[in-house]
Amino acid sequence: MGKTIIEKIIGGHAGKEVSAGDRVWANIDLAVIRDFGGPNVVLEFDEATNKGKVWDPGKIAITFDYQAPAKVAKVAENQRICRDFAIRQGIENLFEVNCGVGQHTLLEHGMILPGSIVVGTDSHMNLLGAVGCYATGMGTTDIAAAFAAGRLWFRVPPSVKVIFEGGFTYPATAKDLTLEFVRVMGADGSLFRSVEFEGDMIDNLPLSGRLTLASMVTETSGEISFFPLSGEIAAFLEKRSGRKIEPVISDPGAVYEKEIVINIEGLRPKIACPHTPDNVKDVREVEGVEVDEVFIGSCTNGSFEDLKAAAEVMKGKKVHPRVRTIVTPATSEVALKALKDGLYEIFMEAGAMVTNPGCALCTIGHPGILGEREVAVSTGNRNFIGKIGKGAEVYLASPVTAALTAIEGKITDPARVLSKV
Amino acid sequence: MEEVFRGRAWVVGDDIDTDQIYHGTYLPITDPKEMAKHAMEYVPGIEDFAKKVEEGDLLLCGRNFGSGSSREHAPMSLKYCGIKVVIAESFAGIFYRNAVNIGLPLVECESLPGFAEPMDIVEVDIKTGLLKNITKNTEIHGAPLPDLEMEILEAGGLIPYMKSHGMFPGVGAGA
Amino acid sequence: MPPMTIAEKILASHSGQGDAAAGRIVNVSPDIAMSHENAGLVSKIFLEFGLDHVWDREKIVIIFDHRVPAESEKTAAGQKAVREFVKKFGIKNFYDINCGICHQVMPEKGHVRPGEVIVGTDSHTTTHGAFGAFSTGIGATEMAAVWATGKLWMKVPDSFKITITGKLPEMVFAKDVILHLIGELGSDGADYRSVEFYGDTVSGMSIPSRMVLCNLSMEMGAKNAIVPPDEKTFEWLKGRTDKSFSLVYADPDAFYEREINVEASGLVPQVACPHAVDNVKPVGEVKGVKINQALLGSCTNGRIEDLEAAARVIRGKTVHPGVRMLVIPASREVYLEAIQRGILETFVQAGAVILNPGCGPCLGAHQGLMAEGEVCISSTNRNFQGRMGSRNSSVYLASPATVAASAVKGEIADPREI
Repeated sequence: MGKTIIEKIIGGHAGKEVSAGDRVWANIDLAVIRDFGGPNVVLEFDEATNKGKVWDPGKIAITFDYQAPAKVAKVAENQRICRDFAIRQGIENLFEVNCGVGQHTLLEHGMILPGSIVVGTDSHMNLLGAVGCYATGMGTTDIAAAFAAGRLWFRVPPSVKVIFEGGFTYPATAKDLTLEFVRVMGADGSLFRSVEFEGDMIDNLPLSGRLTLASMVTETSGEISFFPLSGEIAAFLEKRSGRKIEPVISDPGAVYEKEIVINIEGLRPKIACPHTPDNVKDVREVEGVEVDEVFIGSCTNGSFEDLKAAAEVMKGKKVHPRVRTIVTPATSEVALKALKDGLYEIFMEAGAMVTNPGCALCTIGHPGILGEREVAVSTGNRNFIGKIGKGAEVYLASPVTAALTAIEGKITDPARVLSKV
Repeated sequence: MEEVFRGRAWVVGDDIDTDQIYHGTYLPITDPKEMAKHAMEYVPGIEDFAKKVEEGDLLLCGRNFGSGSSREHAPMSLKYCGIKVVIAESFAGIFYRNAVNIGLPLVECESLPGFAEPMDIVEVDIKTGLLKNITKNTEIHGAPLPDLEMEILEAGGLIPYMKSHGMFPGVGAGA
Repeated sequence: MPPMTIAEKILASHSGQGDAAAGRIVNVSPDIAMSHENAGLVSKIFLEFGLDHVWDREKIVIIFDHRVPAESEKTAAGQKAVREFVKKFGIKNFYDINCGICHQVMPEKGHVRPGEVIVGTDSHTTTHGAFGAFSTGIGATEMAAVWATGKLWMKVPDSFKITITGKLPEMVFAKDVILHLIGELGSDGADYRSVEFYGDTVSGMSIPSRMVLCNLSMEMGAKNAIVPPDEKTFEWLKGRTDKSFSLVYADPDAFYEREINVEASGLVPQVACPHAVDNVKPVGEVKGVKINQALLGSCTNGRIEDLEAAARVIRGKTVHPGVRMLVIPASREVYLEAIQRGILETFVQAGAVILNPGCGPCLGAHQGLMAEGEVCISSTNRNFQGRMGSRNSSVYLASPATVAASAVKGEIADPREI
């Protein structure tokens, strides 16, 4: 019988043919901890194995992005626990507080390959589906067990196909496509499903756009998403990993639970309103809402292309005096490129602040917390109640919409104001 | 292990995310008993859950319970505040694993809406998925827990399960 | 009229007194009253007075720097309350989270002039003496009274005259000079004194270097510290303030309680060891101490010349594995200039973390805290036990060059040897 991508990947790692719904034990290619969850993984691992050895130090990575550098002593302590563990276990892949968002860092360092299984203490691990990897977020017990055994139990997710029909132009962006996807699917529309994307827009989506879309599959409760690998991305992965890249594609006759067609012809800029990511509207429907803070960054929209899109809007302009505007490159590699290309200057001259790479305002771990009744527009992926400040309201939008809103001081529809010549 | 649980029902709606179950502010906490003090603190209407919940209570939820973060604090805080079983129309993927892995039983039941009012006495058989509302004298069928999940729960969680199956080769001598 | 020191003259002119000899109590009218996040506390006290206006909307300056952006809900709420106060009372000079450290933003934005009296709710307000002002830190209640009345009681301090002469050796900076002095005098060596700096070393120093001297004078207890204004001062202020100011110099035979001479040409890089700022040793004595973090920034050493001195040491090298190097430009202006000069690129390439302008982890409130047993070498101004995180962490204070050299080496290092 034909197999879907996820069935092929899990089957390949379980050493047998698997189908949706099966429970199997599968081998892990890479297990990742971060300063969030990581310290508990270490403590649980040590307790479970009586301070034994990990299964393979070369297949473990440690990243610090939740609160890097630490703003409270307890997290400093937690990071030290991870560092000590790395030394004790001979784990060389420790990415210090200067590196930035873990998944992006791993990708830049060539550690993510199509067809591999990666597990980590981050619910947005699955954004690595953008390059054909089955990456999934897990709790600390799972990762501690993976450290010890190199394998874990899996439920094989059913697959759905999502086909985007039509196309759109600037100022609509990959984030608007993403928000439209989340709107159509709803908060549990891809509950524990493997989503395979198709469509002309998908084929032409650069890596940064795929990372954006893949990261928010989480917000529809999806387990993972896959894209047809483009030549450009394959070349990037090959260069970074030094390995030959083999894409995993589904078989003819593979079984899909359903096929969903989403029409994106003439897509307008979208915005997710408080307090759920699927509460999506056209930006024009909420124009005029005054904002106190704008955040541009995160694993969803912290790539160089995202920062560049925001900088193009902000160039030569000033952010509104009321709006605290925070820009955070996803990684130090992005930061360096943004520095060299003059983006930092554009942001700073506009009155925005640029912070060090990391998850930044997307979690309550980093600075930029909101006061009660304050309003923020964020390019992140979640706007749950109280996520970045009790009583605050968070809207999710594209870097273009966010940058324009920062300048205007209120939510502003880029489709009304901007158009690319 | 026990397979039938009877207790008071707490009833919550759809899409309760992990920030509502256990807010990010409290992530640095590592003691489960401390975590328990913040369980469900951000669920509108039952902010005082952690103070009122009693050992043996059951939690009945809507669709997609536990969406969002990978934080194990979420099921941990529920387990340690006394919740014996979480029953939901559906569970988010990570929460599902995390609960099983720490030995907190789950039951999925599509026909759960309207089954119970808050504080009804409810009985659940995790092996068969049978749900009885003792107060209202009604019953419905949820999904029986699959074998692997059941075995992990019976072993007391993932770590003891894997250890007892010889899956941890590198056990050390301590330090 | 008896001959007067600078402090005596400035306080006399600001209290309507003909003379203000050391020891007298005078009622001073400050020219500028500065607060940062603790404006929250000040405004709370002020509101208890029940007044519907502040003494002078132009003379109150509020700059957020201690916890920017807000690191907790509590801070976010506090900052929000201050923003509302600023709006309600029409405070003209408010600088939100994106501007930088108050002691750098103050002169940059033209709020510091020679001969003026500046009070601030921050102990390192002494920094502004580098421009010839009488500048000192006060408490929140006092500040609330200033906001209400524009007046403040003060005892005129005795003065010290510190003369620094000779050419600074390579890799020895103002930071090393003042650390050496603090080591000699002790942390209470200049308690409640006005410290005046003289000598060819001082007149040869840039304004930012003079700010280092005045900033750290606080760590030997000084009430304030002053460098007499000169051409460099005027040049620096050009274009930043259009208000006139008066130049105040000491009378030739003014009385100094103590006169201290320092010969700079023989100095070596200095390090203040845990857990006191006056526990100062030559770098050679602490060389080799393993570090976990290297912090470059703060109101003491976060300016362009500081970043450049460190960049010179680190250019083309990388931060030692296992060391977190944090770089915090003091203000947005400094940050922009550092971009334009390629300094930030140098640091990112070396593996450092560039944080947004502000106080950073200096006071233990923001990104860059330390775990138990960890060691930081820092260009900041205090190394009290537990200040930068865990109670059992240690901070060594040194110049930016020494910090950078140590970051490269992974242990406290002499910048002359890198």
